[in-house]
Amino acid sequence: MKENKKIRWRRLDNASKIFPPTVTNRDTKVFRLYCELTEEVDPKLLQEAVSPTLDSFPLYRSVLRRGAFWYYFESSDLEPVVEEESRPICAPLYLKEEKSLLFRVFYFKKRISVEIFHALSDGAGANWFFETLIYHYMTLKHKNDLPEDFPTLRYKASMSQKMDDSFEKTYYKKRAAENVDKSPSVKAYQLRGTKVEENRTKLIEGTLSVKKVLELAHEYNTTLTVFMTALYFYAINKDMPSKMRKDPVVLQVPINLRQFFESNTARNFFATMNIQYDFSRESHELQDIIHSVSESFKNELTRDKVNHHLDQLMALEKNPFARVIPLPVKDLALKIANHIKDRQITSSISNVGRIIMPKEFEPYIHKFSVFVSARRPQIVMCSYRDQLVVSFTSPYQDTDLQRTYFEFLTSRGIQVGISSNL
Amino acid sequence: MQHCTHCNVEILETRTTCPLCGNKLPAPQEKESVVSFPQIPSYLKSHMTLRILLFVSIVMVVLSFTIYFIFPTELNWPLLLLLGLLSIWLDMIFLVQKRFHIPKKIVWQVAIISLLSVFWDWNTGWRGWSLNYVIPLLCITALLLMYSIAVIMKLGNRDYITYAFMSALFGFIPILFLLFDWVTVEYPSIISIAVSFIFLSAIFILQGNSIKTEIEKRFHI
Repeated sequence: MKENKKIRWRRLDNASKIFPPTVTNRDTKVFRLYCELTEEVDPKLLQEAVSPTLDSFPLYRSVLRRGAFWYYFESSDLEPVVEEESRPICAPLYLKEEKSLLFRVFYFKKRISVEIFHALSDGAGANWFFETLIYHYMTLKHKNDLPEDFPTLRYKASMSQKMDDSFEKTYYKKRAAENVDKSPSVKAYQLRGTKVEENRTKLIEGTLSVKKVLELAHEYNTTLTVFMTALYFYAINKDMPSKMRKDPVVLQVPINLRQFFESNTARNFFATMNIQYDFSRESHELQDIIHSVSESFKNELTRDKVNHHLDQLMALEKNPFARVIPLPVKDLALKIANHIKDRQITSSISNVGRIIMPKEFEPYIHKFSVFVSARRPQIVMCSYRDQLVVSFTSPYQDTDLQRTYFEFLTSRGIQVGISSNL
Repeated sequence: MQHCTHCNVEILETRTTCPLCGNKLPAPQEKESVVSFPQIPSYLKSHMTLRILLFVSIVMVVLSFTIYFIFPTELNWPLLLLLGLLSIWLDMIFLVQKRFHIPKKIVWQVAIISLLSVFWDWNTGWRGWSLNYVIPLLCITALLLMYSIAVIMKLGNRDYITYAFMSALFGFIPILFLLFDWVTVEYPSIISIAVSFIFLSAIFILQGNSIKTEIEKRFHI
């Protein structure tokens, strides 16, 4: 009974609450970011870079625990140890009885990787953490090559801003009561396949030129994200058995809420929108799909709609009856709710966006990539300079969907570099 | 760099087949092979020991019943063996499941062993040894064990204080034994109550705040 330090703990934010109950061996709710350098990684320096990074992101020092009614983060003294990559991609990070950190840092040849449990942070937050880690690693590794006046890390936000639960801050109780969703639920077309052994995830990663893809998107008068989303619809349709065409294809697209509300949180702050396309009634031409997707994006990404999404998310959490339900019952309820919601979507596509590093690092960094554990095939993409990395993760062996997707791009004269983990 | 002529894509790592279409790729021109992800060996073998133990248990039960039916005796000893093995397995399951959290494990062990001992005592003619000795001694052992583990493993207060608190509460159960006159030998129960009392007062006086924050944390709504 020596230390008498005050124990610090934190509630999970709204979006995080769904992750711990729905973790399974197949879908671990873990995502990975990696940075491919132009030289081999120095593990000792990487280890050194971890601790200043954690000082800027104190929430990463927590473990997840179960209370009587809710999960919570508890601060811990555990020190992350940098190891050589030795696990399947997106291996579990949260185990019920184990008090362990919710992220890991590791390396393999030229790659620095972090894997993060989704309850801790979303893509944008994790990105920021990763950028900081790479910054510290680079300044350690290339101390002598960097110019004297090389800028120190600029902090985008204060510590408290980073730890902010932005859901809590942007929520108005009154508004939520008026915004009850009445839209009927539809069963979406489901992708199927032969599972990979041992619950492993298959990654197919395509590396493309941002410039080329942008040019192609502009040919269709649209943005990169809309184009890639529409192309995903197109590929799913080409791959779909015609008797299954009665169900609409629904793609879930996460929305980064930081752009709508003033927030600089490094925690979760996202909502999702469902984009639907009905191939049994609508045209199969890419041009028409793009038009429809573009309209859906416009409709969904308005301030009102986003507020609506947010209030819906919060309403349940704020319900006094829901709050006093014991955790095991809540877990079960969320599992069932999640299962029902899953039937309403075909897949998801997420653009984490551009990763920006100081110009001085350019000679040392080749590319960045992001991908996520998957209970169905899904896409996450990100870009760094001219490298756009489109990552398909899937629990299935089958690669027809991925091939159709990339085949379209190569047929339009875009060079695609393919890589896979299995 | 290898090129898949069927998919018309470049392959960024050295492979024999194309990951998209599965067709064979032409041999790479570069001498050095490029690897993007390490080969992760299969982990299916790890549970083999447990499976073998389970198999051995089943064989033992089947054999003993076979012998019993061929050479009947007055005592139904294979049934006792079956129950004994079931008890061990029940305990094992909890040990393995809660393996990450030692104080929690101790509390569970006290509960499980207490129940099992009452069950066995009752099953073998109720001589009262479970209430007389096993449960009080178990509570005392649990408390002392928890304290020594906390010291040896340098556990922080928060890691074990709730469980110490719970096992101290367990230690008070023998009060019931004394009150209702269920026991014939009283000293183990008395010692158990005394030890629990000392532990509880230590927790409250020295760690009252920790208990308060622990409760706040675990029961936040």
